[in-house]
Amino acid sequence: MYNSYELNESVRRALDLYSQSMIKIAFAYLKNIADAEEVTQEVFLTYLQKRPIFENSEHEKAWLIRTTINKSKNMLKTGWFKSRNPVPEDLSYLPKEENEVLQAVLALDKKYRIPIHLYYYEGYSIQEIAGIMQSKSATVGTWLARGRLILKEKIGGLEDEEICL
Amino acid sequence: MKKSVYKSAMSRVKTSEDFQEATYQKLRSEMEKTTQTNRINQKELLKMEKAKKRTLTGWTVGIAACAILSVGIFAMNQNTLNTTPEPSAVVTKPLVGKVAVNIDGAISEVSADGKSFKVGDLWVEVTDKTELGSKEPTASEPSEELLQKEFKVGNIVSGYTSQDASTGKVTADVIYNNMAPQKDNATNPPIVGKAAVNIEGEITEVSADGKSFKVGGLWVNVTSETELGIEGPTAAKPSEELLQKEFKVGNIVSGFTTEDVSTGKVNATRIYNNMAPQK
Repeated sequence: MYNSYELNESVRRALDLYSQSMIKIAFAYLKNIADAEEVTQEVFLTYLQKRPIFENSEHEKAWLIRTTINKSKNMLKTGWFKSRNPVPEDLSYLPKEENEVLQAVLALDKKYRIPIHLYYYEGYSIQEIAGIMQSKSATVGTWLARGRLILKEKIGGLEDEEICL
Repeated sequence: MKKSVYKSAMSRVKTSEDFQEATYQKLRSEMEKTTQTNRINQKELLKMEKAKKRTLTGWTVGIAACAILSVGIFAMNQNTLNTTPEPSAVVTKPLVGKVAVNIDGAISEVSADGKSFKVGDLWVEVTDKTELGSKEPTASEPSEELLQKEFKVGNIVSGYTSQDASTGKVTADVIYNNMAPQKDNATNPPIVGKAAVNIEGEITEVSADGKSFKVGGLWVNVTSETELGIEGPTAAKPSEELLQKEFKVGNIVSGFTTEDVSTGKVNATRIYNNMAPQK
């Protein structure tokens, strides 16, 4: 249990360390930076209210990512989110190659998109991804393989890469 | 896709510059709200606990009081059922008070000093303490006739005494009246009146002169002083049918006499009707 000072420090540290990762994973899910930031704020609010106790920083990061994914899912389910017709995020400021790759990944189904993001951006192993997504490693491996296949068809490449189990 | 391309692209995606600070401020305000809510909740919790304690204390006291009352009532009932009432050792004192005895009657004897008189067998003394006349608020002033100053033999007195009349001599508390007795018959003659007896019935016999007739066992004589018909301002004149001049056997007569009927023969004072019987 934290006291208010420790909690402040803990939250501030988590904000510094993990907020960007959380915004990016929420962006990968929601495809909108503003929504991603809102979800991230909600996650930190939950952090403050529930005051979970972590074994280590990796545990803390995993909890934050898992909570971000859940809250993003919840936002997708909300009526107002479904009913709106948002302007696609302007990523024209990115270099052409990066823009194409990012657009291709965002175009994937979310069940492939999140494992690919966690694998390629966060650098998690399939086992770690399976732990975060509360799925079997084989399932995660399948999602990654199918996602890569779709991406290969769109942008080419990936033949030389291997899935690290 | 190379890992570095996606990671580089995602790293370049712009986010709000003040995201961290804004989030921190938001969290701090939320934390303050939470703290206030917690304080309020704690206060409410304390209040609730106090209220619970009060309720519990109230119930405890109430139940204890009920239990004591129940035990008391039970004990009282036991005593009432099991014990037979003992005769009371306390002798109730008789009510003590003064009994007023009326003094009412004619004075038969008066003492030499004139301050005592005898009514029946009781000697009554009148002292300075004896009240004369009624002191009631609505009572009128006693007249000299009703309350004479001097007590005389034959006077009618009324009053009362609170002393024991069995001693034969008492002091009067109050004397209402002391009046002379009524004077004799010479001065106040008795009222004298005549008794009237109705004459009513069927004529069974008529005298030879036709001025007397017999009704029942009474001979009635009609004289010149006998008044005929009904008198009075509203009375109608008697018709010949109702008041025939000739008295006949079978006629119905009515009237009265003031004479003594025990003699068997009277003079009629008035004859109202003398009519033939209905056919």
